[in-house]
Amino acid sequence: MLAALVVAVCASLAFGAVHIPLGEVFDTLLGRQVPEASKQIIEVLRLPRTVEAIVVGAALGVAGACLQGALNNPLASPDVIGVTGGAGFGAMLIILLYPGSVALLPVSALVFGLLAAFMVFLIGFAGRGGGNITRIILAGIAVAALFSAATAGLMSAYPDRVPNGIFFLVGGLTSTGWDTLETVWPYFAVGFVLAAFMIRPLDRLMLGDDVAASLGSRPRLIRLTAALAAAVLAAAAASVAGLLAFLGLVIPHLIRLLGGTNNHTFVVPVSALAGAALLTGADTLARTIASPHEMPVGPFLVLLGVPLFLWLLRKAV
Amino acid sequence: MALGRTAVGFDEGAPLLEAKEVQVTVGRKAILESASLSLERGELVAVVGPNGAGKSTFARAFCGLRRPNAGEVRWKGVPLSSLRGRRLAEVRAYVPQRAQVPTGVTVEAAVNIGRSTHLKPLQGLTSHDRDAVADSIARARLEGFEDRDLSTLSGGEMQRVQIAIALAQGAPVLVADEPTAQLDLGATAAIAKMLRELVAEGMGVVLIVHDLALAGAIADRVVVMSHGRSIATGTPGAVLTSELISEVWGVEAELVHREGRSALHVEWLEGR
Repeated sequence: MLAALVVAVCASLAFGAVHIPLGEVFDTLLGRQVPEASKQIIEVLRLPRTVEAIVVGAALGVAGACLQGALNNPLASPDVIGVTGGAGFGAMLIILLYPGSVALLPVSALVFGLLAAFMVFLIGFAGRGGGNITRIILAGIAVAALFSAATAGLMSAYPDRVPNGIFFLVGGLTSTGWDTLETVWPYFAVGFVLAAFMIRPLDRLMLGDDVAASLGSRPRLIRLTAALAAAVLAAAAASVAGLLAFLGLVIPHLIRLLGGTNNHTFVVPVSALAGAALLTGADTLARTIASPHEMPVGPFLVLLGVPLFLWLLRKAV
Repeated sequence: MALGRTAVGFDEGAPLLEAKEVQVTVGRKAILESASLSLERGELVAVVGPNGAGKSTFARAFCGLRRPNAGEVRWKGVPLSSLRGRRLAEVRAYVPQRAQVPTGVTVEAAVNIGRSTHLKPLQGLTSHDRDAVADSIARARLEGFEDRDLSTLSGGEMQRVQIAIALAQGAPVLVADEPTAQLDLGATAAIAKMLRELVAEGMGVVLIVHDLALAGAIADRVVVMSHGRSIATGTPGAVLTSELISEVWGVEAELVHREGRSALHVEWLEGR
């Protein structure tokens, strides 16, 4: 999986509207003398985009693995805790109502993604019987529906501006430099660190709430913390790359099927690698296959990932 | 957390477990009125009683899985309320009645998770921990099963895995809630023998059990529960009398012990 990531990263840096030989790519990264044009393309366009693909792919992979573990449900993905619906609303709000302040889009997506998750957690975890999985999932679906309806309402009010938002809704990366990452990197950092500390507790939870409690853990706290990590990662990912939640659903399953184990010590880190590799590779293909036109990576990823996933599913079950 | 660790130390001279007049309420209704139990090293105490008498609630309460509303619980002299997380896991292991069986997890991986109480966050198993895991697997008679997926095991095998997970915690007390409830005769006998071996090693075992013949055969003491109260405690012979069985279970029966064998002679149908 690491090898796949390395190949994808090299390809992502080398290929594009202008092909740059790998030698020059390495020379640029190492600060050696290279033609100014290549240097510009790599440093300003491709390197930020590649890093975005790595971080977003890893974040969605980890978010999916954490949520599926926390909710003990193979259907869980960032959709389920409302993050996707909230982030979509936040983005469309800016695109449709304040098209002049498009720089605020990542922040708005992040804020509304987290707000939606917060609403779900408030309903799902508070009070007596809090932490009940069915309650969390149902709350998530309801909140997601609320934000989808609000988004749809906005779209019907400003139909002429909707096309600008399509790219965000289907999910895709853009070559816009480091700006977005500079704003949201702390959220990625917090999410990844939280997730790393949840790996072992999630393994305990896998053996049942009572066994986890016997081992001195608090099941409800594990669920909340792991879901929080997933929410932060998914919201940050959406702010950078739009709605790619499919990746969060499928990557952990791919890893479980390929690895033959459900241990989170394996599934969580390898999902990070696989998510990064798949998104980086798919993004490279999406922007080179019909060059100089760029396809949004979201649908492309689905076209690429679904057949692979279905094939593995048939083989395993 | 640091406060808990420095403030209390286990008293090795105190009983492993002392639970006094433990009460659990839901809303205003007490589902456990008042239950008491004590446990020494190298002792097996069976908790018996009809369905709904509060046996499982009592065990969950003194194990710290649900908060008691009143009463006193001490583990090695330390109040339960000041034991959290790893400190609690250090002193007692709880084997649940109906365990969740995940797929895609091997026996060894599951027992490794049991050992995780000895690790700091993000730290891997040391060779010492691996030895402890292998030892737990051996004591639960699961050698050769290490690489089997949990979902492929029989009920008896799965129950032994649950015990191995608990043993890997390395706690001196094992509390098992109905470990033999779904098991056939052979698997039940295997669990019974294993629990006695753990007691012979010096562990304390609390066994929640329905089967009076089994309790009578393997327990050093029994605690009888009825309607949320512990109503009698003592050796099986002294406590499980026909009078008490009739009073608590409403059945005419006699616990018979002969030549290392035990049986419950029950009058199933009157006069037939």
